[in-house]
Amino acid sequence: MPQQTGPIALRRIAGAAITLLLLCPAVARGNFPLPPELPPELYGNLLISRTMRKSHVMPAAFSHWRYRQKYTCRVCHSELGFAFRANATEITEAENKAGKYCGACHDGRTAFGIEEAQCEKCHNGELGYGKEKFSEILGLPVSNAGNRVDWTKALEEKRIAPATFLAVKPSTDISYDKTLTLNAEWVFVPPAIFPHKKHTAWLECSNCHPEIFNIRKKGTKHFEMARILKGEFCGVCHLTVAFPISECKRCHPAMKRSQ
Amino acid sequence: MKKWLAIGLLVPVFASFAFAQTGTKKRRPLPYEYGGVVIKNFSSGAGLSPVQFDHWLHRAKYTCRLCHVDIGFAMKANTTGIKAADNMKGYYCGTCHNGKMAHGDRKIFEACATKYTREDLKRCSRCHSKGENIKRDYDFATFTERFPKERFGNGVDWEKAEERGLLKPVDFIEGVSIKRPALAVQKDFTLTAKVETMPEIIFSHKKHTVWNGCELCHPEIFAGIKKGMTKYSMVEIFEGKYCGACHITVAFPTTDCQRCHSKPVR
Repeated sequence: MPQQTGPIALRRIAGAAITLLLLCPAVARGNFPLPPELPPELYGNLLISRTMRKSHVMPAAFSHWRYRQKYTCRVCHSELGFAFRANATEITEAENKAGKYCGACHDGRTAFGIEEAQCEKCHNGELGYGKEKFSEILGLPVSNAGNRVDWTKALEEKRIAPATFLAVKPSTDISYDKTLTLNAEWVFVPPAIFPHKKHTAWLECSNCHPEIFNIRKKGTKHFEMARILKGEFCGVCHLTVAFPISECKRCHPAMKRSQ
Repeated sequence: MKKWLAIGLLVPVFASFAFAQTGTKKRRPLPYEYGGVVIKNFSSGAGLSPVQFDHWLHRAKYTCRLCHVDIGFAMKANTTGIKAADNMKGYYCGTCHNGKMAHGDRKIFEACATKYTREDLKRCSRCHSKGENIKRDYDFATFTERFPKERFGNGVDWEKAEERGLLKPVDFIEGVSIKRPALAVQKDFTLTAKVETMPEIIFSHKKHTVWNGCELCHPEIFAGIKKGMTKYSMVEIFEGKYCGACHITVAFPTTDCQRCHSKPVR
C-alpha cells in the first residue's frame, strides 16, 4: 500500500483519535484502580508506626469509626493538629504526656492515661483491634460501603452527637451552605455535586482550604478522578475514612449504576 | 529544530506541574515552630549555622512596629540582608543586642563582634542555632503557659494576652524611635466577602494599631487612602499578599477563618 500523505491521512488519524477518545471513558471506567474493599470494621483503621521499629514497640492501632461517633473530624485534625496521612504526624510519647495529640484526651481522666498497664490498648499492632465493639454502631443508618454506616445521616438524624471542640471553642460557625456542581471531565459522566454543609458539619473550612482545594473552583488545578484515586483532593478522605470512592452515585447522583 | 520546539513547549508544561496545587495537605507547624524564621544570607559564609529567629519570644516583649518600622526589618525572611557588620554598628539586631540595652532588669546580650574569646563563641550560637542542639533560655511551653489559648498558630491568643495586660510590648527605643502624636484610631469596619453567604469580615484598626501603628501596613501593603482602593482577593491573601503578609506566617493564621469572617450572615 502506498504511503498516504496529505489531508486523507490526517483525517484518518483524527477519526481514529476521536473513536479512541469516545471509547476511553467506557473502558477506563471499569478499570478505575479502586482500593480493595475492606470488611466494615476495618474501614478507616490504621496502624501508626512512625518510630516504633526503632523503639521496639508495636504499632498503635486506630479505628476512625470508634472516634467519629464522639468527635467530629475537626477536633483531631484541626484543634489537635493530626495530619491527614498516617504516620505524618510527629506523635511522641513526650508530646502525648504533655497533653498534645492523643494525650489531649488520654490523660487518665477523659480517657485512659498513658501508663505502663495501658500500652497494649493502642500498641498492639492489630488493625482490627477492638472490632468486638463494632456491634455498637450497627443500629446507625446503613450505607453500602465503607463502615456500612451512613455517618452523615447518623449526624443529621442526631443519632450521634460528636463534639465539635475540646478546649478552644471556634469563634462563630460559618454557615456556608452552597452546593457546588462540578462538571466531570468526561462527557458521559454526569456532574458531581458538592454540598458544603454536609462537610462543615464535620470539618473546619481550613481542613480543605486552601491546601487541598483552592477557594476558587478555577484555581484548583488538575482536579481529576485519576488524582483523586491517588489520594489527592476528595481522595484525601474519601479513599480511607469518609464514604469510599466506589460509591459513585453519592457524588455523581445522576449516574445510572451505583458502581 | 522540531525537537527544540517540542522541548520549548514541554518545559513550561512540566514547570506548571511543579507549581500546580497538589491537592494534598502540608504539614502544619507545631505551636513553637509557628512564626519561626531561618535567616541564612551570610551565615554559612562566616562558618556559622543559620539564625533561628522565633517571633513568639520577641513579640511578647516588643511590638511588630518597633522592628519592622523603626529598625527596618523587611516582612519576608531573608530579604533584609542582615550583616554582622551592620549589627555591630547598631543596626538591625544590634539595635538592642549590644550588651548595653536592657529589657526590664535583663541585660540584652551582644550580637556579633569582630573580636571574641572562646567563651564568647557560645553567645554566637544563641542566634546561630539552626540545626544545633542548644538549650534556650526560654522554653516555649513554660513561657506561653500563662497566656490565653487560641486554636492555631502559636496556640496563644496574643491579642487577648495584650488586652489583659499579660504582656506589655515595648514600642519605643530611645535614639531609634521618634514619638509622634498618635492619629485618631478609625472605627471598625466591615469588608464584604466576594462569595455569597460567606460571613463578612470585621476589620478592627484598633486591634492592629496596638502592634503595628499605621506605617507597617500603609501605604505599602494597603494603599490605605480610601477604603476599597486596594483590590485583593482571598487567593492573593493565601499567596502571602495583603493580610497574608502577616496572617500566614506570624499573626494568627488564615486557617482560623472565623476570626475574620465573623459577622453573622443575615
